[in-house]
Amino acid sequence: MDTTELIRIGVYGTSILLILIGLYAVLTKRSLIKIIIGLSIIDGGIHLLLIGIGYIKDGTAPIFSPGSENAVARMVDPVPQALVLTAIVIGFGVTAVALSLVIRLYRHHNTLKIDEIKNLKW
Amino acid sequence: MVGSPVLLIAIPLLAAFLIPLFGMVWKESVRIVPGLVLAYLTYLSASLYIEVINTDTIVEIIAGWRPPWGINLVFSPLTGFLTTIMTFMGFIVWLYSYRFKRNVEFEAAKKYFIFLMLLVAGSVGIVITGDIFNQFVFIEIVGISAYALTAFYTGRDSAEAAFKYLIMGSLSASALLIAIIIIYSQLGTLNMAEIAANIDNMNPYYRIIAMIFFIIGIGVEAEIFPLNGWAPDAYTEAPGPVGGAFSGIVAKAGIYAMVRMMFTLFDIAGPMKILIVIGLITLIVAETSALRQEKLKRMLAYSSIGQMGLVLVAFGMGTKAGVFAALFLMLNHAITKPMLFLSGSFLTFNTTEKYIKQITGMAKKMPVVSIIFVLGALAITGFPPFSGFWSKMAFLSAAADENLLFIMATILIISIFEVVYYFRVINRLFFFEYDDKISVEPHKPGFNGMIALFVLAFIVLMIGFYPSSVTGFIDLAADDLLNTHQYIDKVLQLGQTIIQ
Amino acid sequence: METILTIFIIFIAGATGTYFLGKLSGILRSVIFITTLLVTSWLFFTAVSPDVIIEFEIMGILMSWGLTPLAYVFAIIVFGLAIIIGIYAIKAMEGQRSLNFFFANFLLSVMAMFGILISNDLISFFIFWEIMSWSSYFMVVLNHKDVQRSGITYIIFCVIGAYAMMMAIMIIYSYSGSVMIGDFISNFHAFSLGMKWLLPILLLIGFASKAALMPLHVWAPGAYSNSPMSYTALFSGALSKMGVYGMVIVMIMIVQQIPDGYWIKEVIAWLGGITSAIGTLWAIKQDDAKRMLAYSSVAQLGYIIVGVAIGTPLAMMSGLFLAVMHGIFKSTLFMVVGAIERQTGTSNFTEVTGLIRKMPWTFLAALMSIIALAGIPPLGGFIGKWMLYESLMGSNHYLLIIVIFFSSTAAFLYCYKFLFGFFLGQEEKEWSHVKEAPAMMVVPMIIMAILTFVLGVFPGLILKPINDGMQFLGYVSTDNRFWEMSTIFNDWGNQVVMEPIVYTIFAIFLFFLIFLTLKGYKNTRYVTTKDISSSGEIPREDENLTFITGFMQPFFRAVAPVMKRQIDKYYTSFGKGLEALFDFTRRIYTGNGQTYALYFVIFVILLLMFRDSLF
Repeated sequence: MDTTELIRIGVYGTSILLILIGLYAVLTKRSLIKIIIGLSIIDGGIHLLLIGIGYIKDGTAPIFSPGSENAVARMVDPVPQALVLTAIVIGFGVTAVALSLVIRLYRHHNTLKIDEIKNLKW
Repeated sequence: MVGSPVLLIAIPLLAAFLIPLFGMVWKESVRIVPGLVLAYLTYLSASLYIEVINTDTIVEIIAGWRPPWGINLVFSPLTGFLTTIMTFMGFIVWLYSYRFKRNVEFEAAKKYFIFLMLLVAGSVGIVITGDIFNQFVFIEIVGISAYALTAFYTGRDSAEAAFKYLIMGSLSASALLIAIIIIYSQLGTLNMAEIAANIDNMNPYYRIIAMIFFIIGIGVEAEIFPLNGWAPDAYTEAPGPVGGAFSGIVAKAGIYAMVRMMFTLFDIAGPMKILIVIGLITLIVAETSALRQEKLKRMLAYSSIGQMGLVLVAFGMGTKAGVFAALFLMLNHAITKPMLFLSGSFLTFNTTEKYIKQITGMAKKMPVVSIIFVLGALAITGFPPFSGFWSKMAFLSAAADENLLFIMATILIISIFEVVYYFRVINRLFFFEYDDKISVEPHKPGFNGMIALFVLAFIVLMIGFYPSSVTGFIDLAADDLLNTHQYIDKVLQLGQTIIQ
Repeated sequence: METILTIFIIFIAGATGTYFLGKLSGILRSVIFITTLLVTSWLFFTAVSPDVIIEFEIMGILMSWGLTPLAYVFAIIVFGLAIIIGIYAIKAMEGQRSLNFFFANFLLSVMAMFGILISNDLISFFIFWEIMSWSSYFMVVLNHKDVQRSGITYIIFCVIGAYAMMMAIMIIYSYSGSVMIGDFISNFHAFSLGMKWLLPILLLIGFASKAALMPLHVWAPGAYSNSPMSYTALFSGALSKMGVYGMVIVMIMIVQQIPDGYWIKEVIAWLGGITSAIGTLWAIKQDDAKRMLAYSSVAQLGYIIVGVAIGTPLAMMSGLFLAVMHGIFKSTLFMVVGAIERQTGTSNFTEVTGLIRKMPWTFLAALMSIIALAGIPPLGGFIGKWMLYESLMGSNHYLLIIVIFFSSTAAFLYCYKFLFGFFLGQEEKEWSHVKEAPAMMVVPMIIMAILTFVLGVFPGLILKPINDGMQFLGYVSTDNRFWEMSTIFNDWGNQVVMEPIVYTIFAIFLFFLIFLTLKGYKNTRYVTTKDISSSGEIPREDENLTFITGFMQPFFRAVAPVMKRQIDKYYTSFGKGLEALFDFTRRIYTGNGQTYALYFVIFVILLLMFRDSLF
């Protein structure tokens, strides 16, 4: 097995592991903060996955410059990188909103335990 | 050419960022500017829509990159139809909430209108974009502004609702991103038309996985069962007009994304079992949960979810008649449910709990609002001669065409529950004595709010008495959704008008 | 413009006018209301001809309006009752709440019934049917009494019926591409066998729910007794007949085309018979006149349905004739109760007694209607029952005869109870101030009473349109075969000539009246009802000498087993069970954000597991 495959499997494996760790945190941790951390870990895993699909061995930046005309084949796909940047920004925004909500929740309920915050149900 | 589709997204986004600046100069502009923007958007969308119907689909290319490389916007009979409804409902919601927190809290009002602008921009973006990643971004924009609007009131449980919404929203965003990654890694493109054209080249295993993650990713906005736990809470805790905006604008965008994905991206021909099953379960769970609700807005929220399930079932039939019925249901729901939310929030204006029992006998105090509420209830339960009847009829006729007798029976039985809970509220409203101890203090509805309600009531009656006024448009939209090849051809510019 | 369209426009304009202008003045409201009814009826009876058919398209579905001879029979009931009850209602409703709404809604109901009758296609039939449902619903709850229970029960049964009908209609539309009733009938043979059974049954459920057939009758007592009496008269008299109208069409035109379809007829006929028996028993048990009449309506509709379901020419004729008669006498009785309630404040006949001298004209109307209801010659009810029995004998339904006979005999008990409870018995101080109802209420009742009499003498007046209607349904003309203007024939060649019988009875009656009056004129001495002595004891003033309460105990001991199982209780417990179940299932929304996230994960896993069967 060549290194490209290995790296790819490694990247995919890591990202799936990260997603699962994040899910574990979201599903089992009772603290709101930990849940948000879990969501961020899931995001991280997905971003890694997104970057991973753009991986090319010995890749170069997708910039055409004099002298590197023959490097086209080795250029990494720029799209996943653009996507991941956007996704990170969005993830950042969501996390910020989430944390501000947690502040509000703590003020209102005096607790951070998610199973004690269920005035709205059924 | 009155303008281009991109303005539908750009103007509200710009307005959202400029509102605080205007607010520094003249406080009232915070309220007026969104109205002007939404009015213009409605006008723009409607005139573009007329143009599209008369000539051809508009495909707009952003920043000079032709599809499939760049982002493109598609303004077709279907997307134009939905965009027009959405911008119009945005305008109605603005009209209703023009005096929102007036003379009370300037900051709160400012935030409200900013997020309303973002909500409309995002929803319209979801509908008219031709790129899945772009759609993802718009879904996130809608999501963030919706969390903020849900958490609008401090000192209530609104943060709780927003937090639940946020958990579900970000999980679904992750799923959506995974789906996008799978598709990109397989096909190397993000353009919807390109994906649709090449979907047969995709490994069937990955194809199904991608589809599942898509369904899950969009399902949260489309309020399908078991991903809709947030919805009743969010509808209940958000300010009244926002409930209307959620049901009239956001849910429609979610449903659109779902069916665009199923019909165009994955080009599934024939009946879609998955949509039918999910839709039916959503419908049953939501409508039966609504039966014993004690809070008015929560009941309306469950009813809204149920209607979304019904729409999905109709889409799931996959036939022309089914799609027609689904779009008709969407239109009626987009008009009627905001009408119920808006009139309902007038009725329960002076209470934070919004219990149904608090509106006991309110018809004596607020007759016009109550009558509009009843009109909405009769329309949504499908009593003729109001609008809901025709869409329900279209639905049943589509189901009968496909010989889905079991589904017809199920939906009619579920509709009985719907009738029961709506009529319980009507009874409370009209046929109980007003009681100072239980009922809330009536609130004098504002002039602008009444105009908004009257406009909606007029539309309900118009569709009810003369359904042909809208069926032509819906018919074109249904054709547009079903004709995948035409979509691909048009976007990949095999001969049509293109705005550079 | 087409007359039919004009009538609709007048109705809608009248309803809006009544509602909005009624806020200005009560007189204006009454004038608009009555004018609308009069003008539409006048237009209907003079200008609507059966030949004119209006066709138009909605959403690509061809619809058509036109009058059929059968519908004409029912239209007579609707318009006739609407005018008379309308006049009555103006006075009777005086001082009640939400009058504008009442009168506008009244007009809407009449319009909906008219619409049902002139619909030639199922869609517009359904639209008007639903308008009728909700407008009548708002009447049921208008009194603010027992709203959440009887109102919701009524609307549930309304929509059960309506949705069953809607399902049938949509199946018909998608299978045959047409919603014309005529096309449906002529293309019925093309449906598959399963559909041939399903469609009529669904349609019959729809109609039976309005006609209050067992087991869909449980809404009737609550709905009839809780709506304003001025409306109940129309409700029981005309609105329930719409169910009968639908049943006639389905029974005759559709069910006959089903192989082995006679089973449906038998079942419906038996259900009708049982309905009448059960309804009568429950009517006897009531102490409140409204509820009693409500149950009595259920029972009477049972007879009508028996006649319609048997479907022989004579049976159909009796069914339709009874439908007309029931419309007349039952609305009179409801109007009587309304008048009594207005004058005394209660409709419970264990409380009110001895009104005969206080409200003589009301008594006369009640007496005539009761006689008609009980089927005693010479009034109209007799003829209907005569024909019904004869048709049952002619078609070998002997067991059914026993049931019908039982219930119509038992009906005497409640008839007696009604008359005795309100009008006879000892006069009590409490009611000494009661006066006769105003003329505007008495005159409509008397007109109706006279109608029962006239139709008893000249049944041909109404049998003529019925005959036309039946010819439309495909029957051979029954004129001169079963009836002439004042004569009823039977299969054995006998004939009953009504005119001389009635005149004789009337003459004897008149003679005795004059004789007794003249004879006793000088010697008459008015005494109180307590002016008696029994076994040497003189009763005290407050002692009750009559048997108004519980005077049929032995009878009820005999029929107790039948009465014990009350079908409403099963429905109630079923409904409660469902609500409890849904109250439990909605706990799926636990309110915990983490659970929702768990659902999310489970949903992903489920979709992945079942991906092969779902996609």
